[in-house]
Amino acid sequence: MVGLGKAIKRLLRRGVKDGQSDNPIKKFRGTILSSSSVDVPLSSDLETNLQRLKSIFDKCSDVVFREFVFAQNEQVKLALIYIDGMVDKVQVSDQIMRALALEVAMATGGQKITKAHALEFIRERGLCINQISETGKTQDVIHAILSGDTVLLVDGHTTAIINGVRGWEARAITESQAESTVRGPRESFVETLRVNTSLIRRKIKSPALKIETLRLGEVTDTDVAIAYVESIANEKVVAEVKTRLKKIRVDGILESGYIEELIEDNPWSFFPTVNATERPDRVAGMLLEGRVAILVDGTPFVMTVPSLFVEYLQSPEDYYERFLFVSAVRLIRLLSLVLSLVLPGLYIAIVSFHHELLPTALLLSVAAQREGVPYPVLVEMLVMEVLFEVLREAGLRLPRPLGQAISIVGALVIGEAAVRAGLVAAATVIVVALTGIGSFVLSYRVSIAFRLLRFVLILLSAALGLMGLTSGMAVIMIHLCTLRSFGIPYLSPMIPLTTTDLKDVVVRAPWWAMFTRPRLIAGRRQTRLEPGLKPASPEARPKVEG
Amino acid sequence: MIKKTAVVLMLAVLSSLLGGCWSRKEISELAIVLGVGVDLLPNDQIRLSVQIAQPGAFYGGGGARGGGMQTASWAVSAEGKTIDEAARYLAMRVPREIYWGHSMILVIGEKMAREGIGLIGDFFNREKEPRETMWLLVAEGEARDVLECGSILEKTSAQAAAFLTRMKTGFAVELREFAEMLASKGVQPVATRVIVKEQGAVPCAAQEGVATAYRQVEVSGLAIFKEDRLVGWLDDYETRGFLWLKGETFKGIITVPSPGDAYKAVSLRLRQAQTKVVPEYDGERIRFSVKIRTEADMVEQQSFEDLAKPEKIKALESLMAEEIRAMATTALEKVQRGYGVDIFGFGDAFHRKYKEDWRRLKDRWDEEFIRAEVSVTVEAHIREIGMLTRPAFSPEE
Repeated sequence: MVGLGKAIKRLLRRGVKDGQSDNPIKKFRGTILSSSSVDVPLSSDLETNLQRLKSIFDKCSDVVFREFVFAQNEQVKLALIYIDGMVDKVQVSDQIMRALALEVAMATGGQKITKAHALEFIRERGLCINQISETGKTQDVIHAILSGDTVLLVDGHTTAIINGVRGWEARAITESQAESTVRGPRESFVETLRVNTSLIRRKIKSPALKIETLRLGEVTDTDVAIAYVESIANEKVVAEVKTRLKKIRVDGILESGYIEELIEDNPWSFFPTVNATERPDRVAGMLLEGRVAILVDGTPFVMTVPSLFVEYLQSPEDYYERFLFVSAVRLIRLLSLVLSLVLPGLYIAIVSFHHELLPTALLLSVAAQREGVPYPVLVEMLVMEVLFEVLREAGLRLPRPLGQAISIVGALVIGEAAVRAGLVAAATVIVVALTGIGSFVLSYRVSIAFRLLRFVLILLSAALGLMGLTSGMAVIMIHLCTLRSFGIPYLSPMIPLTTTDLKDVVVRAPWWAMFTRPRLIAGRRQTRLEPGLKPASPEARPKVEG
Repeated sequence: MIKKTAVVLMLAVLSSLLGGCWSRKEISELAIVLGVGVDLLPNDQIRLSVQIAQPGAFYGGGGARGGGMQTASWAVSAEGKTIDEAARYLAMRVPREIYWGHSMILVIGEKMAREGIGLIGDFFNREKEPRETMWLLVAEGEARDVLECGSILEKTSAQAAAFLTRMKTGFAVELREFAEMLASKGVQPVATRVIVKEQGAVPCAAQEGVATAYRQVEVSGLAIFKEDRLVGWLDDYETRGFLWLKGETFKGIITVPSPGDAYKAVSLRLRQAQTKVVPEYDGERIRFSVKIRTEADMVEQQSFEDLAKPEKIKALESLMAEEIRAMATTALEKVQRGYGVDIFGFGDAFHRKYKEDWRRLKDRWDEEFIRAEVSVTVEAHIREIGMLTRPAFSPEE
């Protein structure tokens, strides 16, 4: 097995030539821009600057260069550079162009502004833009333009003014598709990073909520934000997240999944050690428990770390609904989790090895169904499970109305027909269906892991019966015990045991009893609510002095 | 490198096949035995009969397969010197692997039982598949008949016999319990009796007004053993007497004459019963006083008198006690005087109280038992009289 692992590693390293891998930064930069034109500071001559930028944005038909003169002094030439479609056109023409080319004259009463004072005047009085900044570096100018800002160059000055007038067509905030709840906020994240950070900020109105940004992806230059609540989050985890993110050197990041695979603790595991959600309330809850969120521009999926196994039993709604009901639902989830993993294996083990485990009537019924089925139960189960996966994939990829049709065809027609034709036993169809539905109860991310492991357990059970099933489960359990997410044991608070944190695992304790934050995530014991909040009638309430 | 990888990969894949499936038995390759019967033939050969389920008949789903009128079971026999030898011959006639794990009953033919169950019991305890919790039945006649007859309500006669036994209207004995009784010196074993006879009727669809009677099993009475050999039978009435003495609660009715009208009857349904056996030994004579305490509900009366009155209840209670005493005494008379074996477990009660003396008496316990004096006292109570306070259909006063 060691040899096999090495071979795979070798295969994965293929394409990385020695020497090139040493300094990837150089390589990436070299492919994008000739470094000489980027590193130089802006010139005081507008023409030179424009020439340079034009050569950089050569063949970029969406970049607009608009040159005009300052209303106060025709000697002062101005240029606006922006990308068509990424700026708010009304603002650019009304608040910048109109102001500078026309209205400034009224403001100053015809007084001439010298070339030397033009920049200062424009910055102080000329622009009606709420968010401006200045830079002297060509690099920053390029980034500003590409980010959707409008850059104003003033002749005779080595400083450019960056106007924050971003505005592009964006998707509205809609209800979450992947994680829906009955009770709870309806909004979900969108593709724009700023909107996403604002959604979190709206929930946590505290200066302790820190949102640090960095840019990743040498070509895509994607904005990435790290959000955490200072004084709650574990500093070590925050530092670790930053370290891992800063190490990333990649040409493009199109979705948070790119980053996830680059910062995971155990890249070979079936189990996700980074959570992703599109619900702001869930992220806010995670932040309040001391986790760190990683937001990526261009995707509504926000990652949270450290991510533990218990998270897959939890749903945001758990904290909004009544705790007794929620605890019961958690048990159901746990049951479906176990079912979706072991049921097919258990069925195979019992039907082909341990017939004595079934009550006589059930055995006879199963035997009757299997009468005339041409293949052994393993083949039958594998075919049905694969078929189920095919149907599921088909349902996901097809346009939504068609997807429903597929599921009806799959569930009713194929299942029923196969049973009627005697190709599969009805019991097998029931097991496959139960397993499938069980995996739907779980969060999609963990169900992916279980879907794969299920096949492993099926093969083990078919080879060794319950013996195979239990040893397979033991290996999975051992693996889970070894997993860590950003240093936090994956199975905590169960393994290692933190008794106070068991209040939010299989059952959910009422809010007035969840005094502390999860200890391991925050790295220390933290109180989150005062004791004595349990509702009581006025008579039963302890007398308060004064 | 690639060669090495390939070798490792091959080893991994092939080794999973190596270990695999050696004890795998697909359900559709099994002949599921529901009942086993053992008879002794005149030529001293043992005949092993099995009732094998025909799975198609157990298919519930709308009858897509199987059809309605399929036979649900197949009874097949083979002979041999021992059970296992017969089982080997059986394997030549049964095209699937014989699977004993779900056999519900073990029926012993009368002749076999008289010869001694010890001859054949070993196989069913030693083999790993047959369960110790099988019901042990003794057939009046041949065991094969029990497996060859059918059942109208259940799919097979083995199921019918097992469910009848499980209802505990009589005394039910598992194979394990029989072995325990056999091992103890303080009690002699018993087993449930099973009879095959025509009973009930099924209307014939083709000819109106014609009903066919089917041979079906009936579980009633007890087979009495001395060690492992059958010595005699108890009928239903005596079996209930036995249950009273043994202290087993059972579902039963006691019918007594109405207190005011001896020609009309009152039925009482048992709620619970407790039996205490107290042995007394003065070094010479052994005496047992059996104290039975029971509660019952009144469920039916034929007379029109008002039995709800306290004095009538009292009268009923004493009539009931009398009836129970009569039952117990009848059973005791027959077993103690007729067969001379202690099937009630009085020996065990004696053992618990007189440990020292038991050591001396245990090897000739049956003789001591025959000489022992047994007194039965019954305390009966009536708890509920149902939903009527006055008898139904009684004329207005």
